[in-house]
Amino acid sequence: MRMLMVGLDNSGKTTIVLKINGEDTSVISPTLGFNIKTITYQKYTLNIWDVGGQKTIRSYWRNYFEQTDGLVWVVDSSDLRRLDDCKMELDNLLKEERLSGASLLILENKQDIKGAPNPEEIAKVLNLEAMDKTRHWQIVGCSAYTGEGLLEGFDWLVQDVASRIYVLD
Amino acid sequence: MENEEEVLATSNEPLDPNLHKKHISMIERLSNRHQIRLDNSLARQSESDSSSSSTATAPTTASFLSRFSDSKRSIDSQLAQSRLTDPAQLRSHLDSISASISDLEKLVAESSYFLPSYEVRSSLKTISDLKQTLENLNSELIPKKKFSFKNKASKQDRDRSVSDSKQTAPGNADSFSVSLEKLSFQVRDSPGLRNKNGETLVKNFKGSEIGEFTVSDLDSCEVRLIGSVRALFVHRLKNCRVYAGPVTGSILIEGAEDCVFVMASHQIRIHNAKGTDFYLRVRSRPIIEDSTGVRFAPYCLSYEGIEEDLREASLDEETGNWGNVDDFKWLRAVQSPNWAVLPENERVGMVQISNSGDGIEGN
Ligand SMILES: Nc1nc2c(ncn2[C@@H]2O[C@H](COP(=O)(O)OP(=O)(O)OP(=O)(O)O)[C@@H](O)[C@H]2O)c(=O)[nH]1
Ligand SMILES: [Mg+2]
Repeated sequence: MRMLMVGLDNSGKTTIVLKINGEDTSVISPTLGFNIKTITYQKYTLNIWDVGGQKTIRSYWRNYFEQTDGLVWVVDSSDLRRLDDCKMELDNLLKEERLSGASLLILENKQDIKGAPNPEEIAKVLNLEAMDKTRHWQIVGCSAYTGEGLLEGFDWLVQDVASRIYVLD
Repeated sequence: MENEEEVLATSNEPLDPNLHKKHISMIERLSNRHQIRLDNSLARQSESDSSSSSTATAPTTASFLSRFSDSKRSIDSQLAQSRLTDPAQLRSHLDSISASISDLEKLVAESSYFLPSYEVRSSLKTISDLKQTLENLNSELIPKKKFSFKNKASKQDRDRSVSDSKQTAPGNADSFSVSLEKLSFQVRDSPGLRNKNGETLVKNFKGSEIGEFTVSDLDSCEVRLIGSVRALFVHRLKNCRVYAGPVTGSILIEGAEDCVFVMASHQIRIHNAKGTDFYLRVRSRPIIEDSTGVRFAPYCLSYEGIEEDLREASLDEETGNWGNVDDFKWLRAVQSPNWAVLPENERVGMVQISNSGDGIEGN
């Protein structure tokens, strides 16, 4: 399964991927291009594409759209000021035809930070209810520091992608 | 690299034989689907082949590998030629190598969905080695520029910067207030120092439970942040000095003009900074984007108990990363014109700050 991780810079994408893979997360540089990880998750092989989120390189995201089964949108819950940027970029992404079949997992990261709004509140700001009804999506609060919520999110994503492929045939 | 294939322990549902069968057939379908993709992409590719004069061949692993190794060979030879290149042409020579490496990276990105993951990984490794070689050559052959910036930005620059900062607003301005209404919590409650002019502001994090802290919309202020915090957001500062203890997560700076920052952090991202000096200790590479006239030097802050704070934040060792700046607006081999190393004779000495005195506590 091909998974694409995107979101604003500093949201924690790289940290999440390394954490899921049980790797050291103590020194991570902002991602200049992309990283790819192949991990075995449950019975599936996931190819996870972690693409840098700095403004300048967001225009390259589209190079990675092709054949994406699962889209993971990572939000920094503590970065309230940029929630609108975050909403705008997500809206643009969801207009992409090549991503129209992908299941969408929204990870509200950094929930360990005290005072961060909870996933329901952020869902409201991102106006997720207005999303195209055919889209399979799920929002999960998580922390790449503690690992909380990560498995819950990826379990959903992997199952959803698997079951969609099921239905297709 | 080895542990990339690590199997993740997850909660497996009890194995109902029926379910098991379902799973097996699902896996089959997944691999069928993979084959279909392959076929599709072959078809697509040959279509585009016939409609253009491109020499690209059908995307099989073999053809990818041959294209990849051709480009690699040509990059290798260009790299080798660098030492013989006329110094006047060196910059453009290195730039063109850098562009070729980017193209190669793009080829891998585009081919990734039909390549076996081993091939993807090894080609990415090759690319990162090429980048490293290029970087080494670059720092060896082109000495880092040391320069100082004119103290005041020209009037034109200033005007532009005003409209720039307005420009970030429109998309935001309206929609931001809209979404703020939707927020059932109060953004104002998030801890920070905001909207001050000409003051000295002191915040001590010791003993507090603050996770993230914001410093925004300050003009001509001195900010002292004592103790450590997880995340720091800095927004729209003008003519300020900011002295900060260790940040265990990341610092995000958006909009700073004629400022001095002395900070330690695991990560730092600097956007829209102008004529600003940074004295940093960072565990990863600092990055700048949309910035000009920024200069870097090592961290130089002292307050009572800072050694312990730095140690606890794993920031007690100098990594030298303060000078390994990546400019996202200048993804080329040659030194970015937007930043420089702050010449030693222009650096401030050790900055000593304290909790007490004329400061105003933030909230
Ligand atoms: N408190 C807290 N900090 C986190 C969490 N996840 C990531 N961080 C911190 O957030 C910063 C950014 O993390 P990265 O993983 O580099 O973010 P990214 O999304 O990959 O950023 P780009 O590569 O620039 O797009 C780092 O300093 C992390 O330590 C979390 O769950 N909680
Ligand atoms: Mg990253």
